Amino acid sequence: MHFSDFGFIALILALGFAIYTGCSAVVGARRNSRLVLASAKRGVLVVAFFLVLSSAALIVSFLSHDFGVSYVAQHSSLAMPWYFTTAAFYGGQEGSLLYWALMLGIFSAIFALTAKRTVPVLVPYVIATLMAIQTFLLIVLVTVSNPFARLPVAPPDGVGLNPLLMDPGMLVHPPMLLMGYMSFSIPFAFAVAALITGKLDSEWLRSIRRWTLAAWTIQTTGLILGAWWAYHVLGWGGYWGWDPVENAALLPWLTSTAFLHSTMVQERRGMLKVWNLVLVVASFTLAIFGTFEVRSGIISSVHSFAYSDIGIYFLVFLVIVIVFSTLLFLYRLPKLRPEQEFDSPISREGIFLLNNLLLVGIAFATLWGTIFPLISAALRQQTMTVGPPFYNAVNGPIFLVLLLAMGIGPLLAWRRTSLRTVWHNLGVPALAAAACAAILPLAGVRDIWANIAFAVCTFTAGAIFYELWRGMRVRHRHGEAYPQALIMLIRRYRQRYGGYIVHLGLVMLAVGVIGSHFFQVQQDATLKAGQEMHIAGYSLKFYGNIGETYPGTTSVKSILQVWQGDQYEGFIYPGRVFYQNFGNQPASIIAITTFGLTDVYVFLADWNGASEATIRVFINPLTPLVWYGGAVMLLGGIVCWWPERRKRSVIKLSEMAGAVAQGERAVATAKQATKPTGRDDEEIVV
Amino acid sequence: MKQRRPLLIGLAAVAIVGAIWMALFLRNPPQQTLDQRVHTIGEQLKCPVCQSESVADSSSALAQQMRGIIRQQLQEGWSDQEVIAYFQARYGEQIVWSPPWQGFSLLAWLVPIGLLLGGAVLIFFILRDWRTLSPEEGERAYKAELAHVDEAELAAYRALLEEELAEEDPIFAQPASGTEES
Repeated sequence: MHFSDFGFIALILALGFAIYTGCSAVVGARRNSRLVLASAKRGVLVVAFFLVLSSAALIVSFLSHDFGVSYVAQHSSLAMPWYFTTAAFYGGQEGSLLYWALMLGIFSAIFALTAKRTVPVLVPYVIATLMAIQTFLLIVLVTVSNPFARLPVAPPDGVGLNPLLMDPGMLVHPPMLLMGYMSFSIPFAFAVAALITGKLDSEWLRSIRRWTLAAWTIQTTGLILGAWWAYHVLGWGGYWGWDPVENAALLPWLTSTAFLHSTMVQERRGMLKVWNLVLVVASFTLAIFGTFEVRSGIISSVHSFAYSDIGIYFLVFLVIVIVFSTLLFLYRLPKLRPEQEFDSPISREGIFLLNNLLLVGIAFATLWGTIFPLISAALRQQTMTVGPPFYNAVNGPIFLVLLLAMGIGPLLAWRRTSLRTVWHNLGVPALAAAACAAILPLAGVRDIWANIAFAVCTFTAGAIFYELWRGMRVRHRHGEAYPQALIMLIRRYRQRYGGYIVHLGLVMLAVGVIGSHFFQVQQDATLKAGQEMHIAGYSLKFYGNIGETYPGTTSVKSILQVWQGDQYEGFIYPGRVFYQNFGNQPASIIAITTFGLTDVYVFLADWNGASEATIRVFINPLTPLVWYGGAVMLLGGIVCWWPERRKRSVIKLSEMAGAVAQGERAVATAKQATKPTGRDDEEIVV
Repeated sequence: MKQRRPLLIGLAAVAIVGAIWMALFLRNPPQQTLDQRVHTIGEQLKCPVCQSESVADSSSALAQQMRGIIRQQLQEGWSDQEVIAYFQARYGEQIVWSPPWQGFSLLAWLVPIGLLLGGAVLIFFILRDWRTLSPEEGERAYKAELAHVDEAELAAYRALLEEELAEEDPIFAQPASGTEES
């Protein structure tokens, strides 16, 4: 008996319990039996428990170097440090699927434990949907993709992890992104439950929003970490290559972003119900599609997994999901009527429609570009490639308009805003943008697109800051210091100001992308010891190469001295690492030195003995803003998501009703008097 | 007159920016160096031996060689299109990163753009329908809703805050009567 056998037994038990839980949830709901439902809720916890057990068994197999397990032998070796050995858990196909199942199990358990907060009618169907997904994953795990499969003879040492994966990025990016993929299943389950029960009220909306927000935040983090990893490991000076797998991860992010915005319309106006459900279902479907695409190997990508016939399973699952959701929609459509009509195009609802169009447009263009080679191959028997120039040309302008809408949207009122108000609200940011557009060309920014893009960024950032400042000033007038006013604003209106923080992060990210896209400078140089090269105001002096040998790895590093102008900045050591078993695939050690907001990115392309090296140097202006912006977005997501205490929010709701009544009176007075007097901020601002 | 001021300021800003841009770009249009041209062309070609890397980005020997060829051809006075056509003839259509604007590949471009425009037109029509709703009617509906605030209380409150914030603004100080009427 090995630990891996325990793991496999736990998997089978989890499968059994998942099937039982799913069925009992439905039966409990149909017969309205409390006992059966309680049993289903516990069943969710049991499934999670067995998945934790199973994952623990795999990790123990890894850490005890049980190479009798085929998966362990393929993805780890004796020389690997313990943290990479542990991370190898999700380093291959079987393990990453188990990680998925584990995450789904944990999310389901969290849902079951917090189920009291949602509408009781929905709970059994959410559980049933989650367990159906879980059952699918477990069937795949038990049959075609078993991580615990044993070899007839255990090899003395394992193959080890692919060198590209032996990086700190491996410890954070895949778990985040895989978790993100999986977390879209909870909103999906909520959508299915709502379609089955026909209950799409504000309580439902609150729950699904929070779960989507969590999924969105996790996926954002995963994407940013992936970009950061690619940047410091791949050596081509960029961080996003519109690779099919990157696209696959971006697609559900785009649709869930659209969802988070259009739910606000539903929350306040009771409109767009069908559309929102479509977006939720689309996010989950795209996540599954992404997995199918990655695992089946139908599209070539840098993210190569060991392909197997697992793709067909995901394809079948994808088809089931799509057919099932479509039927549910057709069944429910008559009930999903909007409660109110729109009033005016110049309102926040109007801009949210635009936002949705643009986000879905980017998502569609990306999806289309990703699958177009397949269509071409199927219809014309001719392979073709769709690469970054296509995506940049199509998505770049859409994204720019989106960025602009992001600045305008929050300044418009709900329902309707007069043109005059628009002018008033947009005047300051528009002037800031104009100033930026006038100054930048004089400062030497010669690219027209870059100029337009920077002006748009200035506009949007200006609009956000202006809005923040106005809110702060209102509170300041009532006796709060500015910093305190800011904190109180954010604490009181988490969603709104959290949203602004996310937007600000995105603007920072956009500035970083624009900077690195338009102003990257690149130069290759072959240097002999003592020679130096000059690029964009920086100088690099080459001193020679050193070789180092460690157990399991050997490395070559170049010694270079960096000068910025006349100022000495220190030594850098770009290099290559060779891993045993992967001799022809050296990993890169890329030397990235950040000066303010500019990265000096040095990649060792080739070397000859100890005294000659070919290096490739990129000057990437503004790229650090991508990471800072990502961090700000994460912060904003957490601010939006952070739970408010239940008790307080109930009190707040009643308080708010009172305050709105008072607010009405204030408006009535304001309409009579020329200038309203004696407003108490605390009364109106709940 | 005061009402028009933002518009005038806006027009003036556009005029100034436009003038600066015209002056800069028309007087000396941006010239690309040879390195930049090689890079631009390299970015449009897919490195045949790599996964998802362009000729400009890849550090493989073949990509380096190809960059050398591009440089040489540019120095001989070839145009960008000629260089790309040369590689396309040698390596086949899939060496070009983005689908060409002709034949079947045109679909790759037209379908997303078409759908986006279609969506925009759809939204335009929806917006036009809403516009037919008269202002008085909208106002009445608004007041009727305010009368029994329950579900949309938050919306009403936010509209209120919005108004107040706008009125509090000294830069655009105006009579407090309505940001509501257009």
